[in-house]
Amino acid sequence: MSHLSEDQLDHLIARERASQHPPLNEWRTIAARAREEGLIRESESHSWAAGQPWLQAAAAVLLLIGGMAIGRATIGLPTSTGQVESSVAANRTASGPTVPAISASASFASVDDASATLERALGDYQRASAFLAANGSGATTMDSSRIYSARLAALEKVGNAMESALQTAPHDPVINQYYLATMGARVATQQLVNRPVGLALKGF
Amino acid sequence: MPFDQLDLKRAIAGDERAMQRLWSQHAPHIDAVVRRLCGDAELAADISQEVWMQIFRALPSYRGDSQFGTWAHRIAVNRTLNALRKIRRLAKLETDIEDDSALTEQDTDRTFLAESIEQAMTKLSPGARAVFVLHDVEGYTHGEIGEELGITPGGSKSQLFKARAKLKMLLAHLVDESQPVAGKGKAHVAPV
Repeated sequence: MSHLSEDQLDHLIARERASQHPPLNEWRTIAARAREEGLIRESESHSWAAGQPWLQAAAAVLLLIGGMAIGRATIGLPTSTGQVESSVAANRTASGPTVPAISASASFASVDDASATLERALGDYQRASAFLAANGSGATTMDSSRIYSARLAALEKVGNAMESALQTAPHDPVINQYYLATMGARVATQQLVNRPVGLALKGF
Repeated sequence: MPFDQLDLKRAIAGDERAMQRLWSQHAPHIDAVVRRLCGDAELAADISQEVWMQIFRALPSYRGDSQFGTWAHRIAVNRTLNALRKIRRLAKLETDIEDDSALTEQDTDRTFLAESIEQAMTKLSPGARAVFVLHDVEGYTHGEIGEELGITPGGSKSQLFKARAKLKMLLAHLVDESQPVAGKGKAHVAPV
């Protein structure tokens, strides 16, 4: 058996020196240990929103109120807070059911308190959207059908974007909240689109 | 993307994303050094974790006197050699770096056909492998290797000679099978 020459061995060494290999560990393995040792500081590592829960809550509430306003504008209901409150009050005296009012001056005792309120509000929003889709007032015209279809298409895109974002950050609270709100609005809009033209809406 | 000063400050402050960027950029080279010195993938993965933890712990002491990669590379080599010494001591397998272990088992090795130089290196003794990797692959001088391993420069040269002789034998079939292994004029990357 012959041997390699010095040059041939040097050539193999040069190839080995230039070769690329994947890292021996995954980042999450290294990160877990670094976190255990306190080398990673959570407040430095999360996004600006994840590091500030009140911003998450504010973003979600903004989405909620904005969604409600857009929905009401679409079906011809009053949109301002005052109009909403007077409408709710009128509704309360006229027909009896108690509808929780959204107070602009609401304050929260803690982050948990705000988060719980937010979750309740999101649930209410989705239920109200579904109710509106089934029992709203006013007639559905060809124009409104086109608007609902356009809204549905937009919500599909937003929903898909949120789903993609969830693949990357499955536990991010802001993305989750947006995703849930989008899904709720999409289901409600889908019902509006599918409703026969001319069906009367009965009110919120 | 180069690891700039801002990212370095963020990593020192505990920003995970900055630390991950640092790791992503340098892990291929740092981990390769560890892998070559260890000669065992599983052991190398464990030691690599320790290396990176040491790099992150030591980040605040990095003064920027040298390239970050060079600084981290030194940590990787020191940490890996320390780990190997510890393992060998625990396993009572420590061999004298000055002995002829690089040439032991030569007869049985004649039946071993290494598919790559990385595979062939696993047949070297730990000391011979360390000298070979540090000198021929990483570009250390024999003086620097002597300091790292606690041996004389002459001892390092001797180990390198034996390691290269064994590798040439283990990889001979690459020539026998007419695989083009060209290359002229390039000798060692570091001065002897």
